[in-house]
Amino acid sequence: MKTIGLRGAYGTGKTTASITRLMSLLQAGVSASSILVLVPQRTLASPYQLALIDSPVPNSAAVDIVTVGGLAQRTISRFWPLIAPEAGFHSINEPTFLTIETAQYHMAQFVDKVIDSGRFDSIAVARPRLIAQSLDNLSKASINGFSLEEVAGRLIQAWCGHSSREMVYEAWLEVAHLFRNYCLEHNLLDFSLQIDVFIQNALQLPPISDYINARYQHLLADNIEEQAPVGLDFIRWLWPSLESAWLAMDEDAGFRIFLGASPDGAERLLSLCDEQQTLTHSFTESPAMQALEVAVINAFYEDELPELQHNPLEAFSFAYHAFYPQMLDWACEKVVHLVQNEGVAPRDIVILAPFLNDSLRFSVMNTLSSHNIPIVSHRPSRPIREEQAARAMLTLMQLVNPYEVQLPPPADVTNALTVLIADLDPIRARLLTEIVYGSGRAELGSFEVINSDMQSRITFVAGERYERLRQWLVSQRTDVAQTPPDHFLRQLFGDIASQTGFGLQQNYEAAAVISQMVDSASAFRHSLYPDGTEDWSPVWQLYRELVTDGLLAAFHAPSWQQESANTVFIAPAYTYLMRNRPVKHQIWLDVGSVSWSERLDQPLTHPYVVRRDYPDQRIWTDEDEEATSWQALFRVVVGLIRRCETQIHLGIADLGEQGYEQRGPLLHLFQQILQVYDEGIGAE
Amino acid sequence: MSSTSDFKFRQSQQDIISYRRGLMGVAAVPGAGKTFTLSHLAAALVQELTQRSFKTEREVLIVTFTNSAVNSFKNRIASILQNERGLLPYTGYRVRTLHGLAHDIVRERPALVGLSEDFRIIDERVSFAIQNDAISAQLPRWRSKFEWYIDPDLDDKRRNRVLIRDLPLLLEGIVRQVISRAKSNRILPTALLERVYDAGDEFVLLQFAASVYADYQRSLAYRGAVDFDDLVRLAIEAIETDDKFLKRLRDKWPYILEDEAQDSSRLQEEMLTLLSDNKNWVRVGDPNQAINTTFTTADAKFLRDFLARNDVRSQPLQTSGRSAPKIIAVANQLMHWATTSHPVPELKQAFFPQDIQPTLPGDVQQNPPDDEANVYIHPDDRVLSPDEELGLVVNNLKRWLADNPNQTVAVLVPENSRGFKVAEQLRALNIEFEELLRSSSETRQTAQVLQIIIEYLSDPRRSLKLSAVYRMVWLRYLSDLYAHADDDGKAVAQELQKSLAKLTALEEVLAPSDDDWQQGLRVDDLPAEWKEDFEQFLALVRRWLDAIDLPIDQLLLTIGGDIFFTPVDIALTYKIAAVLKGIARENPSYRLAQFVEELRRISQNERRFIGFDDVEHGYEPRPNIVTISTMHAAKGLEWDRVYLMSVNNYSFPSALPSDDYISEKWFVRDKLNLEAETLAQLDAVLDKTMRKYREGDASIMSRIDNAAERLRLLYVGITRAKRELVITWNTGRFAEKGGRHVKRPALPIVSLLEVQNAASSQ
Repeated sequence: MKTIGLRGAYGTGKTTASITRLMSLLQAGVSASSILVLVPQRTLASPYQLALIDSPVPNSAAVDIVTVGGLAQRTISRFWPLIAPEAGFHSINEPTFLTIETAQYHMAQFVDKVIDSGRFDSIAVARPRLIAQSLDNLSKASINGFSLEEVAGRLIQAWCGHSSREMVYEAWLEVAHLFRNYCLEHNLLDFSLQIDVFIQNALQLPPISDYINARYQHLLADNIEEQAPVGLDFIRWLWPSLESAWLAMDEDAGFRIFLGASPDGAERLLSLCDEQQTLTHSFTESPAMQALEVAVINAFYEDELPELQHNPLEAFSFAYHAFYPQMLDWACEKVVHLVQNEGVAPRDIVILAPFLNDSLRFSVMNTLSSHNIPIVSHRPSRPIREEQAARAMLTLMQLVNPYEVQLPPPADVTNALTVLIADLDPIRARLLTEIVYGSGRAELGSFEVINSDMQSRITFVAGERYERLRQWLVSQRTDVAQTPPDHFLRQLFGDIASQTGFGLQQNYEAAAVISQMVDSASAFRHSLYPDGTEDWSPVWQLYRELVTDGLLAAFHAPSWQQESANTVFIAPAYTYLMRNRPVKHQIWLDVGSVSWSERLDQPLTHPYVVRRDYPDQRIWTDEDEEATSWQALFRVVVGLIRRCETQIHLGIADLGEQGYEQRGPLLHLFQQILQVYDEGIGAE
Repeated sequence: MSSTSDFKFRQSQQDIISYRRGLMGVAAVPGAGKTFTLSHLAAALVQELTQRSFKTEREVLIVTFTNSAVNSFKNRIASILQNERGLLPYTGYRVRTLHGLAHDIVRERPALVGLSEDFRIIDERVSFAIQNDAISAQLPRWRSKFEWYIDPDLDDKRRNRVLIRDLPLLLEGIVRQVISRAKSNRILPTALLERVYDAGDEFVLLQFAASVYADYQRSLAYRGAVDFDDLVRLAIEAIETDDKFLKRLRDKWPYILEDEAQDSSRLQEEMLTLLSDNKNWVRVGDPNQAINTTFTTADAKFLRDFLARNDVRSQPLQTSGRSAPKIIAVANQLMHWATTSHPVPELKQAFFPQDIQPTLPGDVQQNPPDDEANVYIHPDDRVLSPDEELGLVVNNLKRWLADNPNQTVAVLVPENSRGFKVAEQLRALNIEFEELLRSSSETRQTAQVLQIIIEYLSDPRRSLKLSAVYRMVWLRYLSDLYAHADDDGKAVAQELQKSLAKLTALEEVLAPSDDDWQQGLRVDDLPAEWKEDFEQFLALVRRWLDAIDLPIDQLLLTIGGDIFFTPVDIALTYKIAAVLKGIARENPSYRLAQFVEELRRISQNERRFIGFDDVEHGYEPRPNIVTISTMHAAKGLEWDRVYLMSVNNYSFPSALPSDDYISEKWFVRDKLNLEAETLAQLDAVLDKTMRKYREGDASIMSRIDNAAERLRLLYVGITRAKRELVITWNTGRFAEKGGRHVKRPALPIVSLLEVQNAASSQ
């Protein structure tokens, strides 16, 4: 067996080497279906997928590129009749795999019981977050191989405060068991149960283990530093039966530690390899950028900053502003200048912030678009109701459904028309709404019967489009009871919204949103009504209300679709880090914000305590908190620097978006570097 | 006071600035240069804190009472660091209000106190709405139990009206006070309910309030939210829970300077005691200006007790160059009279016995000379109705303004309502004025501009609304062309605005089908520069129309970013956006039209921001423009001439049997002050072994507290005047009813008049 462990910092060419390895296996005649490429998250599969598309070797597509979760789900589906009785499911009827949203829907009933009993009273956490955190603990249990009791025990033992919190953790444990039993009873598998069943049951059953061992002879595992312990366990389990293994690890990454990644475990796994390779040369950083990297590393770990051959200050500039909007203006001007005066390609620029709120996104995108500079944004995992296109669809859903007692407010109808009808401005949309959806109307009126002056004001083009939309909606109204909600959404998008003359035509971002919405509605339907129902109209309403309340359908932007397009990219820093793509210019916004180093704080769970690497029975104190926060900041800063070739532009606003003074550690870090290396280089 | 580097500090100031360690207490008289001295001390300490690594950043922590003081300190210290000490401005220190500091602490470790990192802080509007909902839900079960408190002499009709209309309003106030006090004692609903149900029937009000408290707290938890009182309570809980967290904060803030320490509360003292570890802590304040103590948790006793401690170095600041000696004498006389001769013995403790001393010769800030000074106290035998008093002051003011164009003047009133009357009169006489009543004029103006824009966006067909945006936003704030236009240019702008207002098809201007907006507007021969200017305006409006579907807070921030350029406006936009975001969360069905209404309330003064001080920006009186302010809001400010109005025994009672009290409701039996009674019940329940509740005691005690605070408020009013002081009084609104309804001059000014008369007869 040939095993190779490859390590290196970002930008040293690990993925390229891994792809070369994959190609050489294929070219050497290894059967594509015997190769398993394991990645910690789906987005990291794309370089391999793209390489295989271009591969001259026949049947390359049979290479399996998966996450552990994906493999688990596929295995469970395939061997369900074998697995179900072993894992304690009540029947072997077809299983339902829950999405995050449908899992939350089912979990809600158990969380509500505890809320009502007052046992969550000592924490002030909004209900949706309690539901999410309850599921999060379950996931953490499974990816670390803990029992539910162990999770509660760890949380209790690490807690240093008032005893009332122990009651909260015990209440969670009760919720978790109730939910788990409910899933077993109804053949539902949330993420945690999929992992548990895969590891604890499926892999223990000889027909399944034999199948997997026989199938996968060659393993390529990339970014193993981002793998959870369960993923690393799986690799160890597979190890004895492999003909070859190739493990690649980014030394300073581990951006997903708070999501369960185990860089230490990855390190131990890598040491199993017979051959160790290290890549050192950076393909991306300029000498000044490398100097900045060295300065930053020293600032974190040494008392004194070293003398350097190149001045790290040449790698970054900064601009200080009193207020947030001024900083946004500066960022836009900077991009315009880079593109128009310095000839930088838009795809070589990213704008990064700890968070990407609506105002920031709108202001920057709107301003750059007005300069004809293409820009795309990426905000992972936000409620889909915050997307304009989704809201438009929901409004029409409410309007069409005769079961709904309450009609959507006219302002929502105006917005829906503005979004869905191409070239319809908000003024004409409002005018149109006023006429066709005035007081007393329960459905949209016809454009054709309104007076001709108004018709010409609204324009006949817009009127004709509106009429098409209206007639389509009228035709749907009678079919609501027979139509599942996802079908309606799919048809509305396919038949109307994406057609010529309508607002979502060639709007890829909106298409992604609607596609996700259709998927969520479909998963919701399959999970709740696997056998269908006689009347779908109450389900429409329930689905719409859950989405509107933010309890269902998060938009997990599937990928950076315009990956290769020539556009400026704006995203939260972590999101950008998970893309393996360097750029020439990075603009960092809100450098003073404390959010650069803050973790998600969740009273019901704990990202570090519920990890296999965390010592049992140890109390979590502020020292741990501080250490992890420095570690997180270090990873982000170094990770970003390593992804920047030419210049980092720091935007600082004294008062942040919420109006609070911004004095976070990232600002102090750069102040220290400036003080040490300053040779007359000042702010812009 | 000057802050130039060649300023010579007074010895007393120098002694404070040279402080380097230990506990120090500073009792400062009005105008002693407290902020100035404290800023210099902070700058000196910042210099002491050499920074080695960004990971061990240390800061001087300054805690003060209002946001305006935060801004003022921040900028003063920055200026001293940069100009006088050659250091980087804005680093090495942090200025916060108590709530700001608590927020900083909780935000670092929210899970430690049971919060997620996205916890919400709800403002007064939402907090009251939740409490009122809980009151409405609970009241039907309790109403009959409260009848016991209603005046038995009321007839059935009035009694019913009281139970339905007046009682719920009174209960709202009681519940608010109980919840706030319970939180300041860090007692949660479950524990309070346990104790209160054993307390007996006479504790019915407290039982009710505790039940509402439980509902309220559950509602907050369900929303993942906290109120301002929780924030402070939780910050203390956080540092008590994890001693390593406390240690880190102690290392981070090796010096704590506390300003306005006379307004310190039990929680503030607890928090700063913990953070300072009783080591390097400087508390500065004037116990004689403690005017926020009634029905709040603030108490000057914390500062007074601190000043009396053996381990505290006391460094008084007694010299003041603000007022003429004649005016200083009046303030000192008031303090002496109260301390020695007040007829109610308890009120002899109302003041801290500390004289204001005029400056010595050679001092850089000499007191204005007495020959320019004047004190007038309206005689107690010359009766004035409220309208007559108003007429007297306004006419006098008018004459004075004509003779003194370069001087500043303020009319200070005890309550907002009186201030509105003054404003009305001045407006009628075309006298220019600024008011500091309730929300600041800045808040109102910012909200009004946003309201105008949102009102248009809520119905973008309305040309009149768009013309308002053009006139009141574009021309007033944004158009450079208009700002520099001559009369002809202004006429063009007016013409444009009129055309806009008359339009029936606005889409032809904002989204013309043939790209020719000029035709849509029906204006010919528009000069090129005005055409360009108007196009810019249209582009901006189109941008806002594109943003129309953003959440309200994000929409406001987007608009604010486009139109506001001054720090005050931008900061206020943030705050207004935050308030509306809270409202939006509570009312998911709200659309732009409803938010217009909310903005209108803010701009028309109906809605206060709690937790955010109204005056964000240090107020600077301007010559020949009258300031109208409450005496409370005038603290920290000074004018050449000051009028103190309505100084009668209604606004300034002296705890005498003939006085009336706002908190004693007409429909409650035995002149009980039910808020005070319920709080006393709470204290008794919390302190079960130490105190026993007896009905009526708290109402009497409350009169004394109220009278004491009013004495200090009068002192604050007097010490605002640099050269001239005019004190008037009136007989009250209900004087025609006769008897005790006829108000008399407040007892303290009668005593001041006696001193004056004695002096003049000598």
